[in-house]
Amino acid sequence: MKKLLLPLLFLFLFVFESIFIEFLPLKMFGNEVIFVPRLLLIAILFFTIFGDVKQGILTGFIMGLLFDVVYTGILGIYLVLFPLIAFLVSKIMKALQANAVILTFVSLVAITLLEFAVYEMNYLIKITNMEFSAFLEKRLLPTLILNLLVTIIIGYPLKRFFEKYKKEIIKE
Amino acid sequence: MPQFFLNKRLIILLVSIIILVALIGFSLRDREQLTWPEQFLKDTTGFVQQILAVPTGYLTDFFENVRGLLDTYEENKELKKRLDELARLEVEVQMLAKENGELREILDKKDSLRDFQSIQATVIARNADRWEELLIINKGKTNGVEKNMAVITANGLIGKVKSTQQFTSTIQLLSSMDPTNRISAEILRGEDEESIYGTIEGYDEKRGLLKLKRIPFDAKVKKGQKVVTSGMGGIFPAGLPIGEVVDVEPDEFGLNQTAYVKPGANLYDIKNVIVVKRGMIKPDAGGNAEEEEEE
Repeated sequence: MKKLLLPLLFLFLFVFESIFIEFLPLKMFGNEVIFVPRLLLIAILFFTIFGDVKQGILTGFIMGLLFDVVYTGILGIYLVLFPLIAFLVSKIMKALQANAVILTFVSLVAITLLEFAVYEMNYLIKITNMEFSAFLEKRLLPTLILNLLVTIIIGYPLKRFFEKYKKEIIKE
Repeated sequence: MPQFFLNKRLIILLVSIIILVALIGFSLRDREQLTWPEQFLKDTTGFVQQILAVPTGYLTDFFENVRGLLDTYEENKELKKRLDELARLEVEVQMLAKENGELREILDKKDSLRDFQSIQATVIARNADRWEELLIINKGKTNGVEKNMAVITANGLIGKVKSTQQFTSTIQLLSSMDPTNRISAEILRGEDEESIYGTIEGYDEKRGLLKLKRIPFDAKVKKGQKVVTSGMGGIFPAGLPIGEVVDVEPDEFGLNQTAYVKPGANLYDIKNVIVVKRGMIKPDAGGNAEEEEEE
């Protein structure tokens, strides 16, 4: 059952990200802010940690490809970054305890890493000319705050879901 | 054998970097069409997005309606004032249209740069990472949408079609940073004065204004003048509203002027769009076509 639900869950999060944006405010406290929900990355990380490492990286690869094709139109960026970050997080989590605080912190670090890497890439290929300081305050900070909230809300259900999924795999 | 694994990992890393660079290079090329796997993926996800977009559309509409209720009184006053003007304008437009038709008949000139057919479409998704502002709409090749067509809302031009699939298309907004994104524009002045021409090149992100460059240095551009497409670029029809001049500056060498144009359409809150198909034949893409022009 969980096996069938898994691709549906990722597909739903993938589509939901772009719809979620419509509900986010453009301005906060008089400053222009860019909120970027990273539900998909959070789910991939939780899958890598609580489910299966190899499958997590593979999911990162597939969802990255889909993200590139459908949303950005520039193939390769998310395709490489999603699995790479999933791999790094799996390595980090071997050394750390998987409790709520550490998990939240690790996912925020992963999101920061992703945002930095994507910013650098886009700057390099001239998709954006945003300055670094503007990137930090307009984009990175709001994004981290939003994703902190998102992780707190969806973290526990995701953990339960993936743990059950793992049990099902082991049973078979 | 730890060393062997180390090598394997290194090789994977190197290969993935090569793939990354190759893929980015491949997708940045000015492609006439997307490859069929890309089109297939976009259409399939477009289908799912469309299903999810309907309930969220209702939800956002509801919130907007509630917010709208608060300003109803003020808005009503303003609208009533405009309504009086509207009746007069309507008669005037009708008379002018009739006169224009008659005059055209006398001249035996049938097609105009202004003619266009429109395709109504709904936005079903937008770029989730928000670096480049892209929208996905629910009309594609089967509905007659083609690459580089102009896209407008009721208030003015918002962008152009970046790529099309069978059932969905991707729209690039005016606010995205694309140096090949140039639109030939015209500043409308009073009845007796001639129009001023320039090209829209680039977007000032900090102020949220479009840059209208290449205006002759002696042209007298004033604040509040309306800017429309001129149709000279060969792809867009003429007369699509773009916005209003808010500021004029001489450019860096003093040979030209740059006007800052406030877009008439809201470039963020977009739900329904109209894809515009130019009625007049397009000149060949080689050379002077505006969208293909290189910096």
